[in-house]
Amino acid sequence: MAGRRSPWRTAVLIALAGLAVVYLFPFAWMLSTSLKPTPELYTQPPTLWPVHPSLEAYRAALFGARDWVLLRNSLVVCLAAVLLTLALALLIAYPLTRLQVSASFRRGLLSWLLSLRFLPSMVVVIPIFATMRAVGLYDRLLALVLIYAAFSLPFAVWMLKGFLSEIPPEVEEAALADGAGRWRAFFQILLPMLSPGLLAASVITFALSWSEFLYALILTATPRSQTFSIAVWSFVTEFEIIWNQMAAVGVISALVPVVLLLAARRYVISALTFGAVREKA
Amino acid sequence: MAYAVSLSLQYYRLGGFAGLHNFAYAFQDRLLGESLRATLLYMVIAVGVELLLGLALAVAVQRTIRGVLGRTLTYLLFIVPMVTPPVAAGVSFRLMYIPEYGILNVLLRTLGYHGPPILWMSSPAMAMFSVISVDVWQWMPFVFLVLFAGLQAVPADVIEAAEVDGAGGWARFRAMEIPYLKPLLLLVLVFRCTDTLRVFDHVQVLTMGGPGAATEFLSLYLYKIAFKFSNLNYASALALYIVLAVSALFGVFGRYLSEEVA
Repeated sequence: MAGRRSPWRTAVLIALAGLAVVYLFPFAWMLSTSLKPTPELYTQPPTLWPVHPSLEAYRAALFGARDWVLLRNSLVVCLAAVLLTLALALLIAYPLTRLQVSASFRRGLLSWLLSLRFLPSMVVVIPIFATMRAVGLYDRLLALVLIYAAFSLPFAVWMLKGFLSEIPPEVEEAALADGAGRWRAFFQILLPMLSPGLLAASVITFALSWSEFLYALILTATPRSQTFSIAVWSFVTEFEIIWNQMAAVGVISALVPVVLLLAARRYVISALTFGAVREKA
Repeated sequence: MAYAVSLSLQYYRLGGFAGLHNFAYAFQDRLLGESLRATLLYMVIAVGVELLLGLALAVAVQRTIRGVLGRTLTYLLFIVPMVTPPVAAGVSFRLMYIPEYGILNVLLRTLGYHGPPILWMSSPAMAMFSVISVDVWQWMPFVFLVLFAGLQAVPADVIEAAEVDGAGGWARFRAMEIPYLKPLLLLVLVFRCTDTLRVFDHVQVLTMGGPGAATEFLSLYLYKIAFKFSNLNYASALALYIVLAVSALFGVFGRYLSEEVA
């Protein structure tokens, strides 16, 4: 039995090793390019790894091209969007799981939220663009915060709902019986127990907002409100593409969500696949 | 949404009520036809390859890799591309596809290829290939993760019983694993199809819809009309068509899906 399976096992292992190369190589190449000083970019044949690695490209991109402003914008927008999303998602998920709500209302609301996930963002971007311009939020960070919060909300509600329904209501009832008010029971008992869920929702919201490109492209015009995705993209449109700086901003842009999500991977896989994958890794 | 409807009913620049002019114009729009064709091609190839590869890989890993460490490593390998911002993925592939200095052409040469350098992004067919390759690279792991999780739900005793009865690997796959995976396959199909309808970011970085209009997918075409030509009215009409199409898709599968997932 085991003998019959072993050639297959070897084959799969080889295939996986090959895939690992395919999957990690683009990152390695981007990193390597970003560390090359400019003359080395054009050597023939290209060097696999920089002979004289330097951080010149990072310095040039962040300070020379003043992209650190966009980096700061991105951080501000993402953090604000996370806070807003969590607050709103709790406001929706808590009553859904703790109060008497008719099953059909709950199901209707949840599947409506799910359906938002399928709406092509290109479709809503036009009315949003027109509305933002009309209310004077065009080229403001606040516009992006509102939009990212709105778009992460379905995810966050679904996730928090899952985490909330795993905490037995008896815990809160006990607190209420001991004389705590509903607020106190919520803040001192429930929130701490919910912290893994809150963490996972924050990480996902942050990563989604960080990666977002289309709205950032359409709703912003100046460094006052542009985000880091725009910084990455703008290197492509230059007349002469500065490859190592483009790679440098690419590395930064990829590094942030990858690190965050690897750190919180236990909860995040399940959320990314909408609950289809549970409790893994 | 209501605002989009009202925009779509007005004439471009002139304002005023236009009736269904914008909706009717879509049928004469030759560029739209090309864009639709490109989108469908992209959808069929990308989603098809992702599903087949993801399914094969899920079954293969399920049967051969049993250790916790091996499985964890596989997981980690495959969440990395999923969380990479599409813009950054576009950048990293663009770096590899540069004709003169990109690593791919150099690799091909060392493997014995001596023709003219391949223009990965400036011939229509290769541009389509390049753009699809990024999608497959980024989203095959999603298919894999979902289906792999589905395989864990196949009861072990059923499989053991079948093995005792002498069922081979293929029979096991057809008779036992596919029925369990069916809802998940459907879920993944709907996710990926609706996602390819809005593919934008990495295409914008790689080819910007070019060369010509070879990779100008629906979302890029819409973007061009709305924000390069500032014709919000016609763009809204097109957007509403897309909403209709997606809602139809979701209407068919949505009920089923929310029951499966909820």
